[in-house]
Amino acid sequence: MAHSAAAATTQYNYDIIKKFALMALLWGLLGMSAGTYIAAELAFPFLNFDIAEITFGRLRPVHTTLVIFGFGGSALFATSYYVVQRTCQARLASDWMANLTFWGWQLSVLIGIIGYVNGITEGKEYAEFPWYVDLLITVTWVLYLLVFVMTLMRRSQPHIYVANWFYLAFILATAILHVFRNLSVPVGLFNTTSYSLYSGVQDAMVQWWYGHNAVGFFLTAAFLGMMYYFVPKQAGRPIYSYRLSIIHFWALSFMYMWVGGHHLHWTALPDWASSLAAAFSIMLLLPSWGGMINGIMTLSGAWEKLRTDPIMLFLITALSFYGMSTFEGPMMSLKSVNALSHYTDWTVGHVHSGALGWVAMISFGSFYHLIPRLWETRLYSVKLVYVHFWLATIGIVLYIASMWVSGIGQGLMLRAFDDYGNLAYTFIESVVFMHWPLVVRMIGGMFFVSGVVVMAVNVTMTIRNAKLEQAALEAKIAAKLAKAGA
Amino acid sequence: MAEQNQGKAVQTTGHAWDGDLQEFNNPLPRWWLWTFYATVVFAVIYWIWYPAWPVADSFTKGIGTVTYQRDGKEVTTHWNARAELIEEMQTGSETMKQQAYLQKVAAASYDEIVNDPDMMAFTRSMAKVLFADNCAACHGVGGTPARIGLYPNLRDDAWLWGGDIASIEQTIREGRNGFMPAFGQVLGEDKVEQLAHYVLSLSGHAVDTAKADLGQAIFQGKEGGCYYCHTESGKGMASQGAANLTDAIWTVADVPGAADDAARINAVEAVVRNGVHRQMPAWSGRLDDTQIKLLTVYVQSLGI
Repeated sequence: MAHSAAAATTQYNYDIIKKFALMALLWGLLGMSAGTYIAAELAFPFLNFDIAEITFGRLRPVHTTLVIFGFGGSALFATSYYVVQRTCQARLASDWMANLTFWGWQLSVLIGIIGYVNGITEGKEYAEFPWYVDLLITVTWVLYLLVFVMTLMRRSQPHIYVANWFYLAFILATAILHVFRNLSVPVGLFNTTSYSLYSGVQDAMVQWWYGHNAVGFFLTAAFLGMMYYFVPKQAGRPIYSYRLSIIHFWALSFMYMWVGGHHLHWTALPDWASSLAAAFSIMLLLPSWGGMINGIMTLSGAWEKLRTDPIMLFLITALSFYGMSTFEGPMMSLKSVNALSHYTDWTVGHVHSGALGWVAMISFGSFYHLIPRLWETRLYSVKLVYVHFWLATIGIVLYIASMWVSGIGQGLMLRAFDDYGNLAYTFIESVVFMHWPLVVRMIGGMFFVSGVVVMAVNVTMTIRNAKLEQAALEAKIAAKLAKAGA
Repeated sequence: MAEQNQGKAVQTTGHAWDGDLQEFNNPLPRWWLWTFYATVVFAVIYWIWYPAWPVADSFTKGIGTVTYQRDGKEVTTHWNARAELIEEMQTGSETMKQQAYLQKVAAASYDEIVNDPDMMAFTRSMAKVLFADNCAACHGVGGTPARIGLYPNLRDDAWLWGGDIASIEQTIREGRNGFMPAFGQVLGEDKVEQLAHYVLSLSGHAVDTAKADLGQAIFQGKEGGCYYCHTESGKGMASQGAANLTDAIWTVADVPGAADDAARINAVEAVVRNGVHRQMPAWSGRLDDTQIKLLTVYVQSLGI
């Protein structure tokens, strides 16, 4: 079954993967910088400078859109196009359609964020795109599905590799989520405003059905697809358990769809909907862990790689944070725990242990594996990969720990009573308490962003070296030809 | 893991992708499977206890119940968040303590509250939060605004609208409109300056006496008419909310923060020139009678 990797660049469409990978890095750098800036604004509000365009409310959707859709989305396009070609031994079904997905996606992100800073938004968390961008995304996504499925159909072997199941589940679920969350009626053809088809508590339910499944299928299932290719590849070992991969894939896909209601405990949402969601969230724990077990156990018997291979460090640390945040999530979805954690920074910390720890770390690891192969060279510096790893890890730990202190602290202050049965603290006292944790969070963000800067330098130098090597090779060949001709 | 190490290649599924990608076919880890079953059992118990599954146009109610009082009668219902809140507000230990105090305070006169250390301790505890959530936005945390010029400081014993209990209660209940006309157009810059010198002389600041004398004539005469509200002595009038100009307390012009004599004159001139327009909103309707009572006692205690 072994196929020669020779001439991979002509056999496969690597050009589209390079473009998506570079855009992922660019959006990642911008989005994480925006995140760090708004983290600084929360700790030091004067940083608004009374400029509407850079206030927290405007920059927050810029941050989330850039990191989820710009960075995460482009990383998924890049890796899914790579994985589906490599594991099917087939070139992408259509180069021009793949190119359209590139321009459609990048344009959507760009139009989106320019709108947000100018106050154009649908105001739905993680679905802030105005209606015309929603349409552009829909077209892009249908093309993505076509390219992916048509490539799968060209595969040279009967079995479809597990990573592709996860990517396909992500593409299908995201299509459904995107369409139903964004059903709305535009005010006019030349008007940026539109009215949602849902209202009141139904709108809230649709919002969190969308929001949590964006976490489930966009930020979890799809990145598990990434994990299922790059972890065994980098480790050079088979996946631990095929059986586990089937069971946890279907369990994960089935359970996730039910849990959105846990974002709306103790609200106008009917009690039955919220307990249904809480119970499914608890049952989601082990299916989520299936992916972590399969990834980490793949390394069993080759643990010494963690000492010598910084890429493996990225991948395994990502899986550890994945395991931690998928344990924390179900706990927070219980009504009683949620009464303390909801509306506090604990939620923000939880999201970032997933977003920084899992999504970003698994992407960084995969990219360090991917980029030298795309440009047919070696990484410029392995030492810099270590530097990036430690900057990122320290950043995440500072981030999560400070948000636990801030969130649990505020939650406890707001429910504390004094000897007279009165509230012991005022709201503003809890805000004053949060100042130092917010400062530490900002510093954590700075660590994380500087890690990405190190990565950007490493990648730029790697590509530059690749071009120099290519030029040297061509010169040599030209010289030889000239000699032969003389 | 032991299974995996016995005869490696035998245990793969036999498929290979992209050269070397393979899969072992290890069984599901036992602990994983049993813990998964345990979460299913937990979920089922959760569903039996709480309202959970939609059925036709209703839902399964669960076996958990909540009992509370409605119109003097005991009501038992299936578990739901609203009923639990009502029950908590009727029987919770913290609520019971607070309710007992609130009833005592509501029935007591201001004198009784002020002279009862226990009721005063309760008042401080509850009004501190009421104040921070409703008043601190303008008057500052603890009653001292962030800077002079915005809103009156409540931590001194000067009261623009009167510092007795009845006046403070009226201030909170009905709000106040603080108004002084602007004299810049009426008098012109020279006379505004002369007035500023006179006003500062009232509180013992070093001023140009010639200008202050001219200012005094304007202040005490028909031209300025300042004495109507600030009185001839300059000590102010609570019924008009007119400030006492003879003390060291300033609520609009930042005289204490001025660097030198010229800056002090400038600060006072600005007030004479532009007048004052300040409003405190009415809180009756937003806060109940007992809350206003607690705040009244609390605010007065700040200024003592």
